[in-house]
Amino acid sequence: MALLEIRDLVVRYGEIEALRGISLTVEQGKVVTLLGANGAGKSTTLRAISGLEKPAAGDILFDGKSIAGQGPEAIVRLGISHVPEGRRVFPGLSVKENIMLGASNRRVPAKEISREADAMFDLFPEIRSFSNALGWTLSGGQLQMVAVARGLMAKPRLLLLDEPSLGLAPVIVQAVFRIISQIRQSTTVLLVEQNARMGLSVADYGYVLETGRIVLGGKPDELWGNEAIRAAYLGGHAKVATA
Amino acid sequence: MDLVLQLLFTGIGIGAVYALVALGFVLIFRATNVVNFAQGEFSMVAAYLMVVFAVDLGWPYWLSFLIALGGMALLGVIFNLGVYYPLRHRSFLPVIIATIGASILLANSVLAIYGPQPQVLQGWFETPGIQLGPVYLDSQYLLIIAVTIALVIFNYWFFEHTLLGKKLQATSQDKEMASLLGISVSTMIMITFIYSAVLGGLAGILVAPVLFVSIQMGSTIALKAFAATIIGGFGDVAGAIIGGLALGVIETFGAAYISVPYKDGFAFLVLIAFLVFRPQGIFGERVAEKA
Repeated sequence: MALLEIRDLVVRYGEIEALRGISLTVEQGKVVTLLGANGAGKSTTLRAISGLEKPAAGDILFDGKSIAGQGPEAIVRLGISHVPEGRRVFPGLSVKENIMLGASNRRVPAKEISREADAMFDLFPEIRSFSNALGWTLSGGQLQMVAVARGLMAKPRLLLLDEPSLGLAPVIVQAVFRIISQIRQSTTVLLVEQNARMGLSVADYGYVLETGRIVLGGKPDELWGNEAIRAAYLGGHAKVATA
Repeated sequence: MDLVLQLLFTGIGIGAVYALVALGFVLIFRATNVVNFAQGEFSMVAAYLMVVFAVDLGWPYWLSFLIALGGMALLGVIFNLGVYYPLRHRSFLPVIIATIGASILLANSVLAIYGPQPQVLQGWFETPGIQLGPVYLDSQYLLIIAVTIALVIFNYWFFEHTLLGKKLQATSQDKEMASLLGISVSTMIMITFIYSAVLGGLAGILVAPVLFVSIQMGSTIALKAFAATIIGGFGDVAGAIIGGLALGVIETFGAAYISVPYKDGFAFLVLIAFLVFRPQGIFGERVAEKA
């Protein structure tokens, strides 16, 4: 049984249909990447899974049980952690406090949470020395690491990552993806990316989303092999990138 | 010099009351992005609750005090559920208008029960005060200052050193993200309303023996406290406290050296000066926190 299964999901923003009946599955222990252009519905898919958007139709099954229509506070308690677009690190709280709040979905004493947050710096050594710095003082790459670390503090069974590479320098993007390949050893990941090359490099399976519909799904090498898809969705410079 | 010290003491005492109410303003503003115009009525209702229990029923002062604060906590819950919660997904304007409506409702309910004539509430202590050198320290003002200091310390500890305080801050900075982490946003806002109602109530109970207990006391205190938050820098906790103390001192000195009838006018003169020359207040608004 798949860990996450989405069936014919429709999400509307007023008159606009952002998702027009998409279906996808995420198997336990895998990394699945959702590719697509701006406005294709990638973020909306993640927001619907984590309960920020209510589905107009269709169903979302986590571990075989429907979670569609539940609120975000309930869904994160089930073990789905969403690291949203734009990092959303609390600007007035320190790095460590941000990371500690990631455990708000679990009932654990504050001292234990503090220890777990300290241990998180082993996975993210780049932000260890910023432990007491306030969120708003950090750079984009540091914010992304805090956001992912905070997401992992929920001890999720499924981690939703929305555009972790957005706006980051190439060397930082490399670091972020190195972390994702470490995370995948313990957690199932559903990754949304515009950067197709990076997105597929860590993936077991990929879907291509276009204006609210899934137009293609396959293993990364199958997606790369499809010339038309490569030109249309994965960027014209794909050949250069893989050469 | 003696007079200066005496006025400073009285000014800080009355300023501490403004600071407590201003703190309530700031906490609710940070959690909900809405100015609660009924904050002053919280002080008025609490003072009348003291009149009910300590004067009319003749219960012990401390017991009446605890019951009044409990009543304020309950009022915070009712206020949250009845005024804020149904409108929470709307823009700030309907919520602000609802708080104004609640303020009118509270004032007129008390008016209907107690009538327009002011009530008298005794102070906590039998001794009116102590003479310390040239300065006479009124016992009620001493109590007000002591309680305010204790609350400022508690407030700092609560928000900076407890996980619940951090969750409240997170909620005020980004509600959607807080909910994604599993923080119950509606519970955090409920706690904020309870805490602010108790703070406002405490201010009302403490200041009641100094002023009269009247229907108008709420709006008078709220106006000064609102001015204090603007002087301190809107949304800033430390600014609210320092703004409140500054306002109390300024109006006391103004009354003593310039004109007693214009006492309230000095507070608003300072407010206008700030709005014209430094609208972001003493501490300024930390824009980064809202980014």
